[in-house]
This record gives sequence, structure tokens and C-alpha cells, in this order.
Amino acid sequence: MAESSASGQGAAADLFIEMEAAQFTKTGQGACGDDVRFLTVEKENRHLVALSDGLGSGVKANVLATMTTSMAIKFLKSNIPTLEAVEIIMDSLPVCEVRKIGYATFSLFDFRLGGKARISEMGNPGYIHLRGTEEIAPLSDMQIVSEHWPDREVRECEADFRAGDRIILCSDGVTQSGLGVRKDMKFGWRRSGVLAFARERIAREPDISARDLSAAIARQALNITPGGCKDDISCAVVYLRRPRVMRVLTGPPYYKEHDAEYARQALLGPDHVVACGGTTANILERELGVKVKVRLADMKTAGGLPPIGTMEGVGIATEGILTLGRVLSALEQMRPPAREPAAARAILERMMRHDRIEFVIGTKVNESHQDPNIPQDLELRRSVVKRIAAALEKNYRKRVILNYY
Amino acid sequence: MENVKVEICCGTACYLLGAANMMNIEDQLPESWRGRVEVEAKTCLELCERENLGGAPYVRINGTEIMAQATPDKLLTRIGELLEGAA
Repeated sequence: MAESSASGQGAAADLFIEMEAAQFTKTGQGACGDDVRFLTVEKENRHLVALSDGLGSGVKANVLATMTTSMAIKFLKSNIPTLEAVEIIMDSLPVCEVRKIGYATFSLFDFRLGGKARISEMGNPGYIHLRGTEEIAPLSDMQIVSEHWPDREVRECEADFRAGDRIILCSDGVTQSGLGVRKDMKFGWRRSGVLAFARERIAREPDISARDLSAAIARQALNITPGGCKDDISCAVVYLRRPRVMRVLTGPPYYKEHDAEYARQALLGPDHVVACGGTTANILERELGVKVKVRLADMKTAGGLPPIGTMEGVGIATEGILTLGRVLSALEQMRPPAREPAAARAILERMMRHDRIEFVIGTKVNESHQDPNIPQDLELRRSVVKRIAAALEKNYRKRVILNYY
Repeated sequence: MENVKVEICCGTACYLLGAANMMNIEDQLPESWRGRVEVEAKTCLELCERENLGGAPYVRINGTEIMAQATPDKLLTRIGELLEGAA
């Protein structure tokens, strides 16, 4: 049994902090002028978010925003006082030829599990803190001003961020969507519109993930504006909650006597189970008495991978190494799941929806895969799963656990 | 008149060695056979690891008969024999 390390997101004391963002780029621009960055400092159980909107749009704005978030997150991590950090950032941003200023807004979120959250903002719409559908006011709220940059006011808040709470950060592309083009929204969607929308979504779907909520807000901001995106849209959501666990069982155990214990892993604890591999599915069928059903219609729409089966009350079953290979390449290249063959898509979508992915890996080698008549090289299961784990951690900030049987 | 039940193995080895070509076998059935052939996909028949069965891809017919190195043509021929034999 081995546990791999995690990055980006983390869990402690049964709590998990989900940090996700959604963005749309201003129509006609090749690069987004906003930037969002996340960092988890594992040792301190600390979680940081930086969202910045660079002056103007396109590549120039992107450079300003990216410089701001990268500096901000490093300063936060090193506990440099906000004012000092702001001054360094302002002094280092390149000055715009046209406007003669160098400018990027920011919203920073800094949270240590078990402690208070600190939010610092400059020039961005005010953050939204929700407990269920109720808006929570900050514990403290003050404005600080730099001597070097007297016109740049920084708001510093402390918030009582508890399990089940969400914090929403966004760029003005969200709050000002619709501005000037919608007669019913003279000043755009505004912070109050975003707040009402988020509350309504949470009322309908109390467990909505940070990923889905940020996507819904960004999408709504886009929909409000007729005829394309007038400004870069960015929305980040932080959600503190119980982790959602997905367990992937793949491959038969090395010792057949371990089959029963291996199969029990499908029942103990996880929110969702995927059996990857024909033999794996058969072991679950036999040991748990579940029936794996493969729909014939799915066979034809499988898109180049063997079809998906369902195990009532347990989860889904797919073929093993080909499907995992496809999942691996999608994760490594960060391809969206939507266009993948059905079985890979099913696994990828489930991985995106869960926070902790636990692999239960049977290490028995399938001799028939070594048949030289097989038209492609079949990688060894353990090495494919190891690479999947690395990609999930690095590219998707998931916590991954590997157990071997 | 007996129906014929066909189980196609969708395990990795079978799939790669030709089971993929049998996924749409139902569409290849002559009109007169429709409704008399039941096709099912199986996660794995676990035959590929046994020796001396003839090699993947495997199809199981009527629960007991094993066809090794199955192809759509071979499978259709065998289904025909069974249906006509039973007619």
C-alpha cells in the first residue's frame, strides 16, 4: 500500500477545499486578460487563490494579470504584508504606452484549515461569501492605502470560513456583463445580480461543486451579453466541504485469495465506483453478487473503445488498459472529456466531479496481453495508473491514493 | 423454433484481435433472422488466458459453445446453421 503525494488541493480533518475557476476571453482576443492561480501549501494546510484582471485586453492584459497573480501568490505564501506586496507588484508592472500606467486588479484569498480566511482586494468586484444561500459579512473589513500609490486602495477582510461555505471571486467582466447593451441592466449584471444567481443555483442544488458553480456564473455572464464577450470573464469559487471520493478498481489481485477483500473495496466508503477491466468486473460480479449489464446500443456508439457496463447500486464497468490509456492521454494533454470515446469520457467526467480518486490496483499480469498478435503495445497497468495519478495531481489538483493488491 | 444467444467478449485481447468488428453483428443479420438472435456484450469471458482454446476473439454461443478466432462471417455462418437446424 502506498500513498502518493497531492498538490493544489488538499484535505485535512475530513474536510476538503475545492478551488476552481471558469473563464471566457473577450471576443476577438487570442489571450485572456484575466488570470487565476491556485496554490496549496501542504505543510501549512493552507490554500491560496489569486485572481487578476490586467489593464486592457489581449496579450498585454494577460501579461499584466499573470505577473500580478504569480507575484501575489508568492508573496502571500511567504507572508509578506499585503501593502508591501502591492507596492512591489505596482512598481514592477510594465507601464502601458497608451495609458501611461501599469495596472492590474486583484482578489486574493488566503485560508488555513481551522483558521480564518483573509481576502484582499484591489479594483475587483467585492467577494461574495455564502453559507448555503445566506450571505455572510466579514468579521473585519478595512481599507489600506499605500504611500507610493495613494490612489490604489486595498480592501482587507477577515472571514469566518466554515465547512459548507463558499467564496466567489470574479473579474468585472462578470459584474459588468450586459452593461451598455442590455436596457434592463443599465449598470450590467452587478455584484447583486451575481449574488442572486449564485443563491438561486445553490438553493436548487445545495451540493453544487465549485467547478460547476464557477462555470455556471461565467456562462451566465456570457449569456447576459448579446453578441459575444465584451470583456474577459473570470469567476473563481472556493468551496470547503467533505471530499467526494471515487474509487477505481482495476486488474485482478495477484493472489486469488484476495479477490473477496479486493471486491469489498467497491462497497466501503466511496461515493462512486468504476471497475476498469473485464476480469475486474467479473470479480465484482462474483464476489458481490452484482450484475454487470452492457447495453448493446452502447456497443455501437463506443467510439473506438469497448462499451461501458453498469453495475446496479455500485457504479460502472469499462474495459481496462485501452480505456485507461485513453484516460491517461486526455489527462496529460488536458483534453476536455466531451469528445473522448464513451468509456474514457465516462471515467474522465467522474474524475472531474470527485476530489479524491482512490485506485485499487490488482497487480496480476494478464498473459494474453503479451500475445505478439495483438496489434499494439499494451502498457502495464501499474505504470499507466501511476501516470494517471501524476496527471490528476499536477493538472487537476486532485488528491490521489494508490492501493495495490 | 429455438433462438440463438450470442455473447461477445469485450475484454482487451478479444477487442483488439477482432471483437470490435462484431459489435454491430445485429445489423448484419438477414431480415428473416431478426428477433431470433440475442446478442450480448460481456465484460470478459476469461477464455483468453486458458490454453488450447484456439485464440481470441472469443464468442460464446447458447451458453456453452465456444467459438475461437471469431469473425463476423464465421459467426453469421454458425448462427445460420443453428437457426436452420432448429427450424
